[in-house]
Amino acid sequence: MTKSSSKNNSNVILELKNITKTYATGTNCFTALDNVSLKIHQGEFVSITGPSGSGKSTLMHIVGLLDNPTSGEVLLNGKNISRLKEHQLAQIRNVTLGFVFQQFNLLAKTSSLENVLLPLLYSDVPKNVRHQMGIEMLIKVGLENKASNTPAQLSGGQQQRVAIARALINNPQIILADEPTGNLDSKSGAEVMKFFHQLNEKEGRTIIFVTHDMDLAKQANRTIIIKDGKILEEK
Amino acid sequence: MLKPSFSDLLRSSFRSILKNKSRTILTSLGIIIGVTSVILLTSIGNGLKNYVTQQFDALGANSIFISPGKIFNDNGGFSQSSMTTAMTTSFTQKDFNLLNRKLKNTIIMPVNAAYADIKSSYAIKKTTEIDGSTEEYGKSNNVVPSDGNGHWFTNEENDKKTPVVVLGYKIAQTLFPKSTAIGKKVIIKGKTLKVIGVVDQKGASMGGPSVDDAVYAPFSVVSDLAGNDNINTFVVKAPNKDLIASTKKEITKVMLEKYDSDAFSVFDSSQLLSSINSIISVLTIALTGIAAISLVVGGVGIMNIMLVSVTERTREIGLRKAIGAYPRAILIQFLIEAVILSCFGGLVGVILGSLGTVAINSFFPAKITISSILLAFGVSSAVGIIFGVAPARKASKLSPIEALRYE
Ligand SMILES: Nc1ncnc2c1ncn2[C@@H]1O[C@H](COP(=O)(O)OP(=O)(O)OP(=O)(O)O)[C@@H](O)[C@H]1O
Ligand SMILES: [Mg+2]
Repeated sequence: MTKSSSKNNSNVILELKNITKTYATGTNCFTALDNVSLKIHQGEFVSITGPSGSGKSTLMHIVGLLDNPTSGEVLLNGKNISRLKEHQLAQIRNVTLGFVFQQFNLLAKTSSLENVLLPLLYSDVPKNVRHQMGIEMLIKVGLENKASNTPAQLSGGQQQRVAIARALINNPQIILADEPTGNLDSKSGAEVMKFFHQLNEKEGRTIIFVTHDMDLAKQANRTIIIKDGKILEEK
Repeated sequence: MLKPSFSDLLRSSFRSILKNKSRTILTSLGIIIGVTSVILLTSIGNGLKNYVTQQFDALGANSIFISPGKIFNDNGGFSQSSMTTAMTTSFTQKDFNLLNRKLKNTIIMPVNAAYADIKSSYAIKKTTEIDGSTEEYGKSNNVVPSDGNGHWFTNEENDKKTPVVVLGYKIAQTLFPKSTAIGKKVIIKGKTLKVIGVVDQKGASMGGPSVDDAVYAPFSVVSDLAGNDNINTFVVKAPNKDLIASTKKEITKVMLEKYDSDAFSVFDSSQLLSSINSIISVLTIALTGIAAISLVVGGVGIMNIMLVSVTERTREIGLRKAIGAYPRAILIQFLIEAVILSCFGGLVGVILGSLGTVAINSFFPAKITISSILLAFGVSSAVGIIFGVAPARKASKLSPIEALRYE
C-alpha cells in the first residue's frame, strides 16, 4: 500500500485532467496553470516543488477543492467533482481532504482544542466523542499540554502542529500541505516532516506537500517539479 | 439533519460574540442609543398629549368660553390674523346684561383679572394675577375649597364688594408658611382683603399657570383693583353636553348683534383641546423625526463596526469553508450572531428608554407607548441583522481561497 511504484489505474485516488487556471488582473490574463495533468495513487507521498510563482499553491488549491480551475477536470476516487454542488464539495473538504496551510490559518482567540475540533462541527461525528477525539489528536501532535492555549500563546511550530491536528481530525484520505514548513525553523520543520512520514508509513495516508526546499522534496517517494504553470519533470 | 446542530451554532455564535468584546460593545451601543432615544422622544410627545388632555378635562365639562378677538381660523387651528384685525380686548357689563337677558337656562360667569403684588405679614408675592368672577365660577371650575379649608365667595359678597380672596394651595403656603391662611389678611394695592378659603392642592403643572398659584376674588373686588369693570372672558355653562352646540350658536347670534364676527370667539374646551392637540401632533412628528435620525445614526454605527470587522470575518469564513462548512451553515451562524447582538442591544435600549421615561416623568409628562418600543426595537434589530448578515452572505459565496486571501 505504501509503495508508489505500483502504477496501475485501479488505485488512482486523485487525477487532474488538463487543468488550466488563468487569473484576470485588470485588463490582462495570467495563466498560472497551463494544461496540467497528474495522477496520484493511494498511499503515495508526493512532493511538489518549483520556483516561486510557478503555480504550486494554485495547483494545491485546486486539488484541495478550495478553488475552481478555469478548465479541466478533477477526479477524486474516480469521480468528477466539477459538477458537484457547493455543499457536496464542502463535505469532501470536511471528510476526505485535510489541508495544511503555510500561514496555519487558525482561528484567533480560540483554544488549540477548539481549533482542532472545528471540522467536526460540520461533520456527522457524534457530539459526545468529539472532545476525546480532539484530545487524542493533540496527544498525537504532542500538544496535549497546550489544549487551552490560543494561537497567540503558541510558537510557530506548535501552531502548525495544531493545524495538522485539525487537518487529521476527520481521518482524511489525503493530506494536502502547502509549504507546511515554510514558516518554521529547520528543527520544527524536520519534526513536521517526520510526522508526515509516520502518517504515510504507519497509517497509509496519501500525502501531497509543496516545498521549495529540494532536500525536503527528496524525502518524498515522488517529486513533481513545476515551472511556469507546467509540470517540468517527475522523479 | 442540520449540521452543525442548532445548539452548536448557538454556542459558536456566543463564543464569537464574547471573543470580540469591543465589536460587541460598539454594535450594541449603536442599537442601544437608537432604541433609547426613540422611546424617550416618543414618550415625551405622548406624555405631552396626555397631559394636555387631562388639563382640559379639569377645565370642566359643558363650559363654553367667549373671548375677545378671533382665536380660531376656519380650519380649527389657531388664527394668525387676530393681531392684525381690529381688536376687541374685552367685553363690558352691557354685554353681560345682554347675554343674561337673551340666554335662558344657562349660567354666565364674567371673568376679569388684575395684576398686583400680594403682601402678607410674612411674605410678598410679586405681580400676581388675581382672577375675578362670581359664585358659580368656583363650582364650574372645580376650585371650591373642601370642608375645613374655608369657603368660596358668594354672590352676596360680590354684590357688596366684600374684600375677600380665595388662595391657591401653593400661594397660601408661600404667604403663610407657619399657619393656616384662612382668616388672615393680605394687602393688594394698599387694600386689605381677608382670606376666606384655600383651594385643595391640584398638583404639578409644567411651567404654565396652575390652580395652586391662583388667587381668586369676587368680580367687583377685582374690578376695583384693576381700575375698570371690563370683562376678559365669559364662561358659559351649558345645561348639558348635548346643548353645547346649540348654546354656542345662540351666543354667537346674540354677540353678532353688537360685534363683527371676527371681534369675538365662542368655543368650548373640546375645540380648544383639538386645536392644541394638532399643535402637539406637529411637535410629536418633529420629535419622531429626531428619533428617526438617531435610529439612522445608530444604524450607521452598527454598519461601520460590521464593515470594519468584515476582513477578519471573511478570512474566518474562508477557513470554515476550507475545512468543510457549507454556505448555509455559515449564514445561519452569522444570522444567529447578529440576532443575539441586535436583540441584546434592543433589550437594553428598551430597558434604558423605559427607566428614562420614568425618570423624566418626575418633572415632565412622559408616557411610554408599545408602538414606539416595537418600532425602535424592530428597526434597530433589522439594521443590525441586515448588516451582520449581508457581508457574511457575500463572503460565503467566495471560493474558500478567495475568502482566506481577502484584504
Ligand atoms: N488571485 C490571483 N490573482 C492573480 N494572479 C494570481 C493570483 N493568485 C496567484 N496568482 C499568480 O499566479 C502565479 C502562481 O502563483 P502561486 O501562488 O501558485 O505560486 P507558488 O508556486 O505557490 O509560489 P510560492 O513558491 O512563492 O508560494 C503567480 O505568478 C501569482 O502572481
Ligand atoms: Mg505558494
